[in-house]
Amino acid sequence: MAETNSQFPRSLKGVRESLGQQSGSNRALLLMAPLLAFELLVFVVPFFILLRISFAEESSDLVYAEGTWTLEAYSSVLTSDLIWSIVGYSFLLGIVVTVLSVLIGLFYAYAIWRSTGLLKSLLLFSVVLPLLTTLVIRTYAFNPLLSPSGTLNELLLSLGLISSPIQFVPGTVGVVVGQLYIVLPYAVLAIYSVLATMDWHVVEAARDLGASRPRSVLEVVVPQAMPGVIVAAVISFAWSVGAYAAPDLLSGNITFAMQVEGLMLSDMRYPLAAAFSVLMLLLMLVSIAIMFTLLNRIGGEFELA
Amino acid sequence: MSEITLRDLEKRYGETTAVQDVSVEIRDGELLCLLGPSGSGKSTTLRMIAGLETPTSGEITLDGADVTDQPAYERNTSTVFQDWALFPHKTVLENVAFGLKMRDVPKDERRERAEAMLERVQMGGYGDEDPTTLSGGQKQRVALARSLAVNPDVLLLDEPLSNLDKRLREDMQIELREIHEDLEETFVHVTHDQDEAFTLADRIGIMDQGELIQVGEPTEVYENPANRFIEGFLGDTNFVDSQVVGVTDGAVRVETELGYELVLPTDRNPDVAEGTELTLSLRPEVLSIERDPTADAVEGHEQPMLADGSTSNAVVGTVENVLYRGSTVRYSVSVNGTSMFAERTGASTDALTAGEEIRIEWDGTDVLAFRTDGSRVTL
Repeated sequence: MAETNSQFPRSLKGVRESLGQQSGSNRALLLMAPLLAFELLVFVVPFFILLRISFAEESSDLVYAEGTWTLEAYSSVLTSDLIWSIVGYSFLLGIVVTVLSVLIGLFYAYAIWRSTGLLKSLLLFSVVLPLLTTLVIRTYAFNPLLSPSGTLNELLLSLGLISSPIQFVPGTVGVVVGQLYIVLPYAVLAIYSVLATMDWHVVEAARDLGASRPRSVLEVVVPQAMPGVIVAAVISFAWSVGAYAAPDLLSGNITFAMQVEGLMLSDMRYPLAAAFSVLMLLLMLVSIAIMFTLLNRIGGEFELA
Repeated sequence: MSEITLRDLEKRYGETTAVQDVSVEIRDGELLCLLGPSGSGKSTTLRMIAGLETPTSGEITLDGADVTDQPAYERNTSTVFQDWALFPHKTVLENVAFGLKMRDVPKDERRERAEAMLERVQMGGYGDEDPTTLSGGQKQRVALARSLAVNPDVLLLDEPLSNLDKRLREDMQIELREIHEDLEETFVHVTHDQDEAFTLADRIGIMDQGELIQVGEPTEVYENPANRFIEGFLGDTNFVDSQVVGVTDGAVRVETELGYELVLPTDRNPDVAEGTELTLSLRPEVLSIERDPTADAVEGHEQPMLADGSTSNAVVGTVENVLYRGSTVRYSVSVNGTSMFAERTGASTDALTAGEEIRIEWDGTDVLAFRTDGSRVTL
């Protein structure tokens, strides 16, 4: 009896020890396994299928010719003026929306941070509120608002500020507004989540030492909010460059996502669509890497000219 | 050269009044401590001097100029915050140089001055450190250097030592005192710790419930408190409820809850009448303990005889509790069922034990009396 008693804990201890030795990496890996499996299934595997298709030949009766290898799709994508103009427009849209959403997001998040009580709840609620409506409806709603015969034009006309209606929709202004409205809540929440952890005394200390209001925000708030700003910028940029709904509903121009949809569903040219997607993915990765480097640099000493 | 005048300063937040009727002249080069319990309005007052809060009414002048509505960044005051509020994404040197940068001091010069200031607070060589990695005491020094680097007219300290442990706090108090003597600048220091106030202050301003009750030198506020709150706040004391039973020439006779009739000597006509309720304060340091209840009175303790032959400034009680406190021993004594305490230095070899009957006596002129509304009765 005594022997089994001492035997049992010893073996248990042994198991625990051997587990403990592996734990450093293995247990963390175990916890991540579901996530890794998910990523593998919905991102990595489909991406390799996409990559494979982009190197396939086109086929007259199928969407692509299986088992073939060629660089034809890439050469036609890279030499097409239309494709490059679509890339340009997509990136322009991405950059404009990102700059606006980060700037407005910073102001809005700062306002939420500084407000108290009911006002704070109202401001937070109004950020989340648009997310409760489906994206298509809230984007489409800009049509009656911004169209030549819409509310805004009527208002401007009746105030005598313009003599003839301006066509915001369909048009670039409309897409920018629509896409901004889609990404802004995420930008605000990303920046606010960082600001919420900040100590207001630090801003007071800056003012106390002679920094004016805008200067104290630039010197103290913005550098500290940088992690949130980076997240906001990446979300806004990636989503806007690849935007589909807003351009489809509000734009006269074609963006990358719309072109890919056309190539796949109307023209049935899968290799071309796949090659274009791979190109965009690479361009996006490069631009996000550049964005990270630039924004991270601001996180340190922020020199004003 | 910096004098600050606060005139009828008031700050309200909606319905609640944080500060009211605060008027004081802070002299050039003095170290004034604002002392009070939390919520007494001392920090709010300091923040109004800094310009971080705008007074609801009243006036603040700095060297004669009205600065009441001037924002913090236009005032040449500098604050050391309770949590130090160092800029976490800047190095220690950048933190200290920040105020100079805001004043457009050229880069080389501000670097030089910041380094010199770090040396001054014994933090030389820490310039390139990340402030978030420093210890509490080091952060405290950097915050002090950052505030001093701009050469402020007035240095405002908002409980900067309260987050430090006792030993470090006491070291910093002495160092702060030295820095103040060196710089000959005006300091306003907020604290809730009376020891800290007594150590640092040239003058102490005591605040309670938003009002500045008394301003004076440490000995003055301790020995001559304006009201009962200050007497209780500035140290331990026995408050004894009593009622006036007779006012004669030169003495006020009171019947106390201790069951003894006491005589308070007076050299004027105090504004009390028979039946007035008074709270007497008997500080432990004015009380002496006599082991033999029937012994003669200690010399110097005037003991006017009462009609029935008993003395007037002594009570007999039983030791209930002995509390050893290192340098002193505190005895809790039951006098006719009411408990009071007296102290003796710990070095005494003839320690008293519980159950022992002793006599506590004092000099009648050391007793302070307060009315039921807390105001002081001048005897």
